[in-house]
Amino acid sequence: MAQQPLPSSVQPTDVYGGDEVSAIVLDPGYINTRAGFAGEEMPKQVLPSFYGHITSSNRDVFGDQAMYPRADFEIRNYMNRDSVVEDWDAATKIWEHALVNRLGIPRPTPPSKNGLNNKPKPAAEGEDVEMADEADLDETENYEKPMAENPLLMTEAAWNSPKQREKAIEICMENWACPAFWLSKTPVLAAFAAGKATALVLDVGGSNTSVTAIFDGMVLKRSVQRSPVGGVWLSSQIRSLFEASEPKVEVVPTFMVENKKPVEAGQPADARLKTFDFQISPSFRAYEEERVLKEFKESVVEVWRGPGRYLAPGNEDYAKNLPGRVFEMPDGSNQMWREQRFKVAEGMWDDNAAFPSATEEGKITKAQTVPGLIKAALDSIDVDVRPALLANVVVTGSTSLLPGFTDRLNHELTAMFPSVKVKLHAAGLSSERRFGAWIGGSILGSLGTFHQMWISRKEYEENGPGIVEKRCK
Amino acid sequence: MTSRDVHDVLNLPSDHSGAPRPSKKQKTSAPRPNLKGLAREVQNLGGDNPIAIVPEVNFFKKRRFATRKPVAKWELKAFTNSARGDDGALVLRHWKRRTDDGAPPVEGAQDGDGQQQRGGGEGTPASEKREEKPEDSAFAKYNVKVVVPHYTEDQYHSNLQNNDWTKEETDYLLELAKDFDLRWTLIWDRYDFTPKPPGGGGDAANGKDTSTAVVPTPKQRSMEDLKARYYEVAAKMMAVQKPAQYMTRPEFELYEMMQNFDPEQERKRKQFALNTLSRSKDEAREEESLLLEVKRILARTERFNEERRELYNRLDYPATDSDINSFKTSAGLQNLLQTLMSTDKNKKRKSIMPGEGVSPSNNSGVPNSAVSETNPANRRESIAASATSNNHHHHARRDSDARTPATPADPTPTSAAAAAANKKKGGGAQQQPERRKLTQQEEQVYGVSYHDRLGSGPTFRYEKINKLYSHKSGQQQLRITNALSELDLPPRLVMPTAAVTAQFEVLWGAVTALVDLRKMSDRLDGEIKIEEAKKAERDRAKGIAAEMEGEKEKGEGGGGDGAAAAAGEGGKAGEKTGEGGQTKEDGEKKRPESSGSLTAAGHKRSASVLSAASDKSSKRQKK
Repeated sequence: MAQQPLPSSVQPTDVYGGDEVSAIVLDPGYINTRAGFAGEEMPKQVLPSFYGHITSSNRDVFGDQAMYPRADFEIRNYMNRDSVVEDWDAATKIWEHALVNRLGIPRPTPPSKNGLNNKPKPAAEGEDVEMADEADLDETENYEKPMAENPLLMTEAAWNSPKQREKAIEICMENWACPAFWLSKTPVLAAFAAGKATALVLDVGGSNTSVTAIFDGMVLKRSVQRSPVGGVWLSSQIRSLFEASEPKVEVVPTFMVENKKPVEAGQPADARLKTFDFQISPSFRAYEEERVLKEFKESVVEVWRGPGRYLAPGNEDYAKNLPGRVFEMPDGSNQMWREQRFKVAEGMWDDNAAFPSATEEGKITKAQTVPGLIKAALDSIDVDVRPALLANVVVTGSTSLLPGFTDRLNHELTAMFPSVKVKLHAAGLSSERRFGAWIGGSILGSLGTFHQMWISRKEYEENGPGIVEKRCK
Repeated sequence: MTSRDVHDVLNLPSDHSGAPRPSKKQKTSAPRPNLKGLAREVQNLGGDNPIAIVPEVNFFKKRRFATRKPVAKWELKAFTNSARGDDGALVLRHWKRRTDDGAPPVEGAQDGDGQQQRGGGEGTPASEKREEKPEDSAFAKYNVKVVVPHYTEDQYHSNLQNNDWTKEETDYLLELAKDFDLRWTLIWDRYDFTPKPPGGGGDAANGKDTSTAVVPTPKQRSMEDLKARYYEVAAKMMAVQKPAQYMTRPEFELYEMMQNFDPEQERKRKQFALNTLSRSKDEAREEESLLLEVKRILARTERFNEERRELYNRLDYPATDSDINSFKTSAGLQNLLQTLMSTDKNKKRKSIMPGEGVSPSNNSGVPNSAVSETNPANRRESIAASATSNNHHHHARRDSDARTPATPADPTPTSAAAAAANKKKGGGAQQQPERRKLTQQEEQVYGVSYHDRLGSGPTFRYEKINKLYSHKSGQQQLRITNALSELDLPPRLVMPTAAVTAQFEVLWGAVTALVDLRKMSDRLDGEIKIEEAKKAERDRAKGIAAEMEGEKEKGEGGGGDGAAAAAGEGGKAGEKTGEGGQTKEDGEKKRPESSGSLTAAGHKRSASVLSAASDKSSKRQKK
């Protein structure tokens, strides 16, 4: 039976240690940027970190709905593949868009207009005039400082550089006039979201896979391991698979298809493509193709569950007998995928099984596979905490939602550490896995005990941006 | 009446699937616990699946008139957090239920902080009232900080110097320890000390110059190094602030622990842990099974011991080899009953002390290892290979602890003789009930010492000494007193504190031992002398015969004269030394080695002289 709802007279602080101060949590990533109010269970705003740039008018447009084919239109990303902000101007704009325009942070009504100061004061008229003037000033100031009421909790990658961190607090304090700021590392927050203070966090995200040991709510810096084996890398593997398959599979993004007719499996597509009277930029096409690949990933790709590797003798034959899945491309061509759908993701676990990549950065080494990362992370930390970490392995990141991922991980870990108890903690809800770091930030930002941690505006003004390095350890 | 009865009556199959279940849809959570009368009967009809009794509701929703109180009012209240330590510079706001007793907040007090501050600047009384300090967060009290040791420059130089650590690095370490609340994993993880270039402040100011200068490479510190240094500093500073003897128990324990930190051992332990982590599944399984085996064996031993004890308890019944005729009357039976009851009482008391049941076997010569196994306190030791020797030592020590009033400084007996004496009497002390053994440190801290059984009423400590005296013969008493007075000790102690008495007792024991030894040696000497005299007599008889023969042969050659003369000379010299001893009273020359040449006459004299001399020699040794 569910818990009785609390009567409104009970102060909730006694119950769960929460104390909400309408803080905002901002969690930028390579694929998505998440924003929302602390204390909520999901981010209110999830918008792509890709943004459109119209070269002719030198204008940036944000959000999914702005991403349609148009002239002189480029797709850019303000983050780089390391999940670190690259273009700070764009970052500021996109964050402001997310927080102010879309999240709709309530701005305080200027005192001159909120009706509270309308009481006639016959006595001191001169003063009143002055007050009004000041109120006007306030109003303009408030407009420039859109978040003067809300503390901001931001996330960062564990390997973020001090310069980047200082830049973040500068923007928050100077541009938005937040009363307080905090910068937290994503693996820590992901661990919090799973309810752990000590954990080994495996974050399989869009552009990166990282393994980080968290001890008592702090990142162990020596343990941070990362590799490009993430969603984007997986897409490149899918491309390699399409290249290698017979006949070659063409990826035609949805926006190019005007109409299509159903065709038999394995037959060439019978579709009419749209023609545009302007140039479609390669970046836009790549972005749209990525969408198709993403769908393929979500609906077809599966991780070989183990035990043993996919390439181990017998496993591939077994996989061939498993029921396949049909995937229909936007242009109507469709095909049954059987053992390939296991093979595509096997590179994450076994560097020998990865498809040969055309680009240099697509190639991975043994140390970059998921087991390699975990091993390296554990080897670099004190032996006393290793069992505790292995008993609290937190799996997060959207790419970890591939079917069979946790099974395989469990097999790999138990094979690697036979004498230790390995316990995985992977949220069942897909949204919890996707927004792990944001949810952790939401929990942290609404905790009553956290309010002593905020870097306040005053501290920033006294110490400068360097304070973030001192405080957010 | 249960559902089964109903099923029986209605001739329904007993499993529930067949029976229609009434009103399954509307199930309330649980039946009310204490129903009465008919209601309970009805409830029981349901059996395992209680029938839900749902009140009939024929209207949708009642309007809530229950509380006629006005709607609860909530307000956006500003608050600070004192744990921040910034004097309320950060004012955050959260929704709080408005308290009824407080004055309703003045509207406008909630506008931004700037507004509030401006209000304060105006200085009107009204604005001052609403300028009340925002309340402190309820969570500020959870802010706990770890205390790391502090030291001044002087203290560092006098106490904490270390060749391996500079003061800067030590400072850095303590700073980290404070920042990370002594979580060593984190401290080690973040430890990144870069020593300042040796040039000093001038160079550092230049900035660019230092970057080109040779920077000494920071030392790689293992976690054990860091811990060892920190504990060293912490323990020393603890001792500086509070000497060890004044520490409370937890403080002392902490102090001991920090002082005894052994980085090498810790390193080995980690190595071991590493090996454990990397062992294979089979090895792990094997170890587990071994552990299980050990546990099983232990359990069996325990059971066995338990049975054995019980058996002994049973065997320990009152002796009934006397005539049973006395019990044939009812009075006799009554008598018997009472005896039995009293022995029963005794047994009950005995069974509390597990060592007790063993004592008969101990006296009757069962090997000591078996005894120690029955003693739960020692069980662990008995498992170890060196069970017997270990335990023997253990027992002896405990006995000696119990017997001699231990001085806090040195609870173990100093002289081997005392230990031997105690060991001899070990059997009796076994009877003492088990009680918690204090470690040496704890005894030291509490000032615990062990005593003999004290008689009733007050006693003086020196009386114990007197008692010891009275056991000795008069002559020995005299000698002991002589020895003591030689050492400038009064026969009766002036200030007989426990420590002094104990020390005196040790000394006294030594003196008695010496006196005893002297007595023994005297006796041996006497025997040797008698034998010597006998031999000399024999020799003389032989010598006379030889002389006679020699005289007879003197005409032939004087070669044989030498031996006889030597014998005669020896006899004379012996007499001389004997006299010398008498006159000079020099003990050293009267040592037994010289007594070989003593004559029978010398021996006669020596009895008194020797004793005096031996006293002297013992005194000299002491000096």
